[in-house]
Amino acid sequence: MSALVSEVGTRTAAAAHNLVKVYGKGDTAVRALDGVSVAFQAGRFTAIMGPSGSGKSTLMHCLAGLDTVDGGAIHVGQTEITKLNDKDLTKLRRDRVGFVFQAFNLLPTLTAEQNILLGLELAGRKPDKEWFDTIVDVLGLRDRLTHRPTELSGGQQQRVACARALVARPEVIFADEPTGNLDSRSGAEVLDFLRMSVRKMGQTVIMVTHDPVAASYADRVVLLADGRLAGEIHQPTTESVVNALTHLGA
Amino acid sequence: MLKTILAGLRARTARLVLSSIAIALGVAFVTGTLVLGDAVGEQTRDNFARSARNVDAAVHTAENSPNREDGIPADFLQKIRNTPGVEGADSREFGSAALLSGEGKARNALVQPLPTTEKLRDFNLKDGKFPVKADEAAIDVKTAQIAKLKVGDKLKLLDKDNAEHAFTIVGTYQQGASSISMSGSDHVVVSPEGLRTVIPDQRVYEIVAVAKAGVTQQQLVADITKAIGPGYQVQTGEELTQATLAQVGDAAGEIKTFLLAFAAISLVVAGMVIYNTFTILVAQRTKELALLRCVGANRSQVFRSVLAEALFMGLAASVLGLLGGIGVSAGLQTFISTFGGPSGGDDNPIRLPISWVTIAAGFGVGVVVTVLSAVLPARRATRVAPVAALRSQPDSSDDVARTGKVRIAVATLIALVGGAAVYFGLQQEKEEPAMFITGGATMVLLLAVLLLGPLYVPLVNRLFGKALRGVPAKLASANAGRNPKRTAATTAALMIGVTIVAMVAVVAGSGRATMNEQVDKRFPADYAVKSNVYSQPLSPKFTEDLAKVRNVAQIAPELRAFGESPKLEYADVTGYPTEALGSLVRPDLAAGTLTGLKDGEIAMREKEAKTAGVAIGSTVPISGKDLKVVALIKDNSYGTGIVTLKTAESILKEPVKGYQNVLVKLAPGTDITQARADLERFIATSPVAVLDSAAETKAELNSQIDQILLFIWALVGLALIIALFGIANTLTLSVLERTRESALLRALGLTRGQLRQMLVVESILMALIGAVVGVLLGAGFGWLLVEAISNSEFTISFSIPFGQIGIMLGLAVVAAVIAAALPARRAARNSVVAGMAEA
Repeated sequence: MSALVSEVGTRTAAAAHNLVKVYGKGDTAVRALDGVSVAFQAGRFTAIMGPSGSGKSTLMHCLAGLDTVDGGAIHVGQTEITKLNDKDLTKLRRDRVGFVFQAFNLLPTLTAEQNILLGLELAGRKPDKEWFDTIVDVLGLRDRLTHRPTELSGGQQQRVACARALVARPEVIFADEPTGNLDSRSGAEVLDFLRMSVRKMGQTVIMVTHDPVAASYADRVVLLADGRLAGEIHQPTTESVVNALTHLGA
Repeated sequence: MLKTILAGLRARTARLVLSSIAIALGVAFVTGTLVLGDAVGEQTRDNFARSARNVDAAVHTAENSPNREDGIPADFLQKIRNTPGVEGADSREFGSAALLSGEGKARNALVQPLPTTEKLRDFNLKDGKFPVKADEAAIDVKTAQIAKLKVGDKLKLLDKDNAEHAFTIVGTYQQGASSISMSGSDHVVVSPEGLRTVIPDQRVYEIVAVAKAGVTQQQLVADITKAIGPGYQVQTGEELTQATLAQVGDAAGEIKTFLLAFAAISLVVAGMVIYNTFTILVAQRTKELALLRCVGANRSQVFRSVLAEALFMGLAASVLGLLGGIGVSAGLQTFISTFGGPSGGDDNPIRLPISWVTIAAGFGVGVVVTVLSAVLPARRATRVAPVAALRSQPDSSDDVARTGKVRIAVATLIALVGGAAVYFGLQQEKEEPAMFITGGATMVLLLAVLLLGPLYVPLVNRLFGKALRGVPAKLASANAGRNPKRTAATTAALMIGVTIVAMVAVVAGSGRATMNEQVDKRFPADYAVKSNVYSQPLSPKFTEDLAKVRNVAQIAPELRAFGESPKLEYADVTGYPTEALGSLVRPDLAAGTLTGLKDGEIAMREKEAKTAGVAIGSTVPISGKDLKVVALIKDNSYGTGIVTLKTAESILKEPVKGYQNVLVKLAPGTDITQARADLERFIATSPVAVLDSAAETKAELNSQIDQILLFIWALVGLALIIALFGIANTLTLSVLERTRESALLRALGLTRGQLRQMLVVESILMALIGAVVGVLLGAGFGWLLVEAISNSEFTISFSIPFGQIGIMLGLAVVAAVIAAALPARRAARNSVVAGMAEA
């Protein structure tokens, strides 16, 4: 698996090359990522899957510039982010990357609208009013804009998080178990929306999940086991994902 | 369960250390104040009752005795010395003589004999030795300073017939504060024989005695009474001490009251900081406590574990705080004696009296407040269903419950009581009750305001937040507003401190402005020439020559005459030349006109006119003359009233020897330095005349007020420190609590610097809310106090010392930045991924 797994003719939104991440030292050292090379195409919805401890979350954190690496290189667009310092990494996250986390996505002190626009404000950018309206309407958040997170349901909170990620039109949106805390209906809504944002709005989404149903919404599933790449599935279905995971011994 | 508690204490060392410091600081604050109060009390006792030091029995002439004028007969001293049980006895007496030092200018001096019994000396030797021979003398340190005399110098005392008696200065001493030592003149101690040479027949006003070992004070009193017979008052030493303290009265008591009030305030402030810390601490542990419940601990076990932990922390921190408080008190005393204060001054030793009250108060605050602060949150923590608690988020709607109706009702009730008390205080005509009632009432109002904190703190925060620009600052404002109760409690400590300072600053500032106005009004003259020695007034000849000095436009000799009136208790009038009235003498007129006052007329003090039942147009009998009242004045500095010089002379029993005081007005446009030099040259011709100017009086008064302010600033510094520690504590715990939030913000693109900035702004916001509300309250309360103290005769004009208040606000901001430094660093250092993972 040393060659880049890529599709001919598409632009790469993010890529890792021979990525190594070690936790701990000496005897207790764990190689969370052990030479992972993978590329993610722009305008596609990719899911990263694997059993617990396979390194999928670590891979995403490194790709997004949230964590440092111990070896290898990561590119977001044309930028090699493994060379950036903390300040530039912060700027990169602010200007070029969007996030949807599993939980605790929103600041409790801000209203839904303020949460959505937070990233733009941090960057000092003016929100595109039309784009903002489109997103808010698509996500059905129009009558929830003045509410604070504690006044929103879990599904609504996740939709606000999605809106925040989208409103800045980032190069990549990273989603870390975005449906992990949701009931299946709310989860389906969020996944539908992520897929639609890729299909209709041309977004790039990279999602970490352990749920085969969630993974089936993606265009492609990248499988990880023991810190190494363990295969991939194109146009996945729930069944094909479950099968692949079973083979991984999950 | 004990294991769990200990393990818990170990695991949360960092947080517990922080909270312990908060408790320790609170305890240190309280004990420090109490120790300082006791030290001041002890010092006061020593200072003001030094004349009663070691005294076991004291003899005075009885209150209504006919021989009171003559004093105690001379042979009594020997009688008492011969009484069984008496180890030693000495007479107390003092006479007045003019003192001539090197410069040749005579000064008024009080001469006292040195007690032969060492224990009965109410002077502390500073330098050299006490006089032994008849031609040796010791002077007190202030006299040495003012008269520029030192050990080895010669001084001369003039007796009644102006004969000179030479003494060699062999030592300097420090005396306690008493009505004698406070009387501004110079002080000389000579041997009893030396005194007889200058003043042969001085009246003895007191004989003091020390008992032999094993003889009680009561027994000694009984023995002495038997020896000297009836007609004299014999007191035990303890009674004398109490009587002396009661006499010098309130000066000492006021400082103690003030310190006690401050200790009470410190108690509240410390309690608030501790309560706040513990509330946050337990709130953060809700999940852990819930987990304990989930694995089978029952409600009371969890509750007890929280209390046990609080008890342990409270005890440990109290011990630290107690020691710290003693250090604080020592530091404050050093500070005061270095910079001088009302109780400082001459080098007093540092005293650290530790009473049981202090220890009890320290532990009371440390342990009881900590445990009480733990009870409420612990009850809350154990009341929720365990699973719900496991899921809970910080600052969810339950924590940030709306301000309760009960709280509002209670606060309103307290405010009404306070308001009524203020109204009552303002109605008081006498200054002291007005001040105490109004002062107490403002504290009640402060309590109401503090209770309502959660209501207006968010409003003030929003107001400040509107002025802020930039995302970090806006986030900071939102953070400060997220939990109104917590923010209110955090800012409350600072608010109390600032309110008190602002109040004192306003009152003192107003007092200073008023005093300066008064000095200006009372001294329309440019200079006053006074006699230094009471028994030797400025002669009429000297006065005439003074008028001829270059650039002197006008002079007004002042003549005080003590007359008698059947309608008044005192009838002392002040005489001036008619042409000086309205120009050099300008009292505050209530009615009538003063200019052109004729002989036989009086401008009477309004209050005394009321007492005597006279009005303008009627007459008042003084020393056999019927003076016609033509004006009423408000000032109390002219005695019963102002009359012409001639009228004053006619009231005087003896012929005029001269004047105590002559007012001098310079010709307009005169060069002050030139004129002053001329005057000084002229005055040098008299042995007793001194120059006094309004400017100097003003400076002296101001320096007195400044000393009081300095003392208050020192105490307030303490309040500020603890209050800011409260902010730092809240912020640190908030940072811990908001780890995930900070991580999220960092993930979304907030730089480390911006994160730090956010916390610093949050800290400044909290400090400013406390400080600004405090300043407003303090200024308001100060105004109330000023109004209360003012009465019809004495009006203080309200003025705000903007400079001092500005400095205070500046200090609050600086301290807030310091308070935020550590928490901000900690927050910024956290890794984003680790923060997100935090449960």
